[in-house]
Amino acid sequence: MAILRSTYGTRRLAVVLFALLLAALFLLPSQSQGVLQYLGGPLGYILSLPLAAFSAIDQGLSETWEGYVALQVVREDNRQLRRELDFLKAQNNQLRESVAATQRYEALLNFKEQSKAQTVAAQVIGRDATNWYRGLILNKGEHDGVRPEMGVVTPAGVVGRVVKANSASSVVLLLTDTNNAIAGLVQRTRDEGIVEGTSHGRARLKYIPLLSHVQAGDRVVTSGLTGVFPRGLAIGVLTQIEKEEGALFQTAEIEPEVDLTRLDEVLVITAPYEDAEAAQKLLQGTHGDRKKP
Amino acid sequence: MKFLLYAVLALVVVPLQTTLLHYVSIFGVRPDLGLVAACLVGFLGGELDGLVLGLILGCSQDLLSAGDLWVNVVTKGGAGFLAGLAGRHMAHITPTVLLVGLAVISCLSSAVFMYSMPPFTWEEMWTALRSTVLIQAGFDAAIGAAIYLLFRRRWSDDRMVTESAF
Repeated sequence: MAILRSTYGTRRLAVVLFALLLAALFLLPSQSQGVLQYLGGPLGYILSLPLAAFSAIDQGLSETWEGYVALQVVREDNRQLRRELDFLKAQNNQLRESVAATQRYEALLNFKEQSKAQTVAAQVIGRDATNWYRGLILNKGEHDGVRPEMGVVTPAGVVGRVVKANSASSVVLLLTDTNNAIAGLVQRTRDEGIVEGTSHGRARLKYIPLLSHVQAGDRVVTSGLTGVFPRGLAIGVLTQIEKEEGALFQTAEIEPEVDLTRLDEVLVITAPYEDAEAAQKLLQGTHGDRKKP
Repeated sequence: MKFLLYAVLALVVVPLQTTLLHYVSIFGVRPDLGLVAACLVGFLGGELDGLVLGLILGCSQDLLSAGDLWVNVVTKGGAGFLAGLAGRHMAHITPTVLLVGLAVISCLSSAVFMYSMPPFTWEEMWTALRSTVLIQAGFDAAIGAAIYLLFRRRWSDDRMVTESAF
């Protein structure tokens, strides 16, 4: 037997409400987004409380898993890490020499400003609420100075950029998301391109000039031209170069430097350069260099 | 009582979705608890209940997602509304009906998400269908049917009536 759960009046109200919502969203998209953003302020704050509680449970579960259940693989990991440590010690010695030389060059070229980014440390407390975006939720929001379009990094390299900021949390779109685009630079050849995510969860460097001699193993860093990231932050390593017949540019697959599946803490870049003047100087310097033959 | 249940759902479902649900993901795909909740409430409580809860859950999910602010509002609100319409025209809601209904609504919701994103190539669309849409539809349907089976007796005795809440 059919059971009517709502009266004609409430059904009509539901239809009218839904029709109004759709009409508002499609006829006045920017205004309705503004209303949703306005409503989202207090809602975001209310949601941050259970979000923090669930995040603490998540962290507890992860620690229990890693501390007890996953110990079986620790021995092999330890052996592998010792091998890596030996390799890195040797590499470190070489890099110390390079650093000393670089510091002298930096002083000469007045490029010191680019390393003085202002950052805010944030904890990863969740993942994107849908399956359609590769995103993270951070426990810092507008109250902590985090705004949309700010870059997010770890000491290892670039993570992504902030796309939404509520009062107490923010959403980061990862480097490997197809909707992300970051200006990149091949460190060895100095060719610039755009780093985009792929549908397979990796990244690729697009618009590499056809005559460029990029090869697998080349490192890609931020070019610093978009203003979100300072110049020279590690993005990843080229793994495969694609040169299609008749195409105007080459494309290369990138293995990201940061393991984006295991992030706990990140840094949000609130100001990529010490001040706007320094950034301007740096950009002028860069453009000046490029004009030279 | 019902209003309290919806408020608790709104406060629990979305944080749960963003924090703990990755433990039960299949090939990296998690069920959409917001969609399941909106549909169940729509099926059992009617269009208005499904729509209102869907709008609240959608708005919350939009705040914690990288997408545009309208996508979850429309999909969850629409899902609750459609489920309410479907539920009203059915003589008996059985787990099988719920399973199929939820899978269809989940696929429709995914279609709206794909529409909201930059244009897909055929290859990307096929990849998305294989790796996300179908898995999520199956997952949503299974979880919805399981919740219904778990609480079926209680829900058949104590029906949610729209007028008492709003």
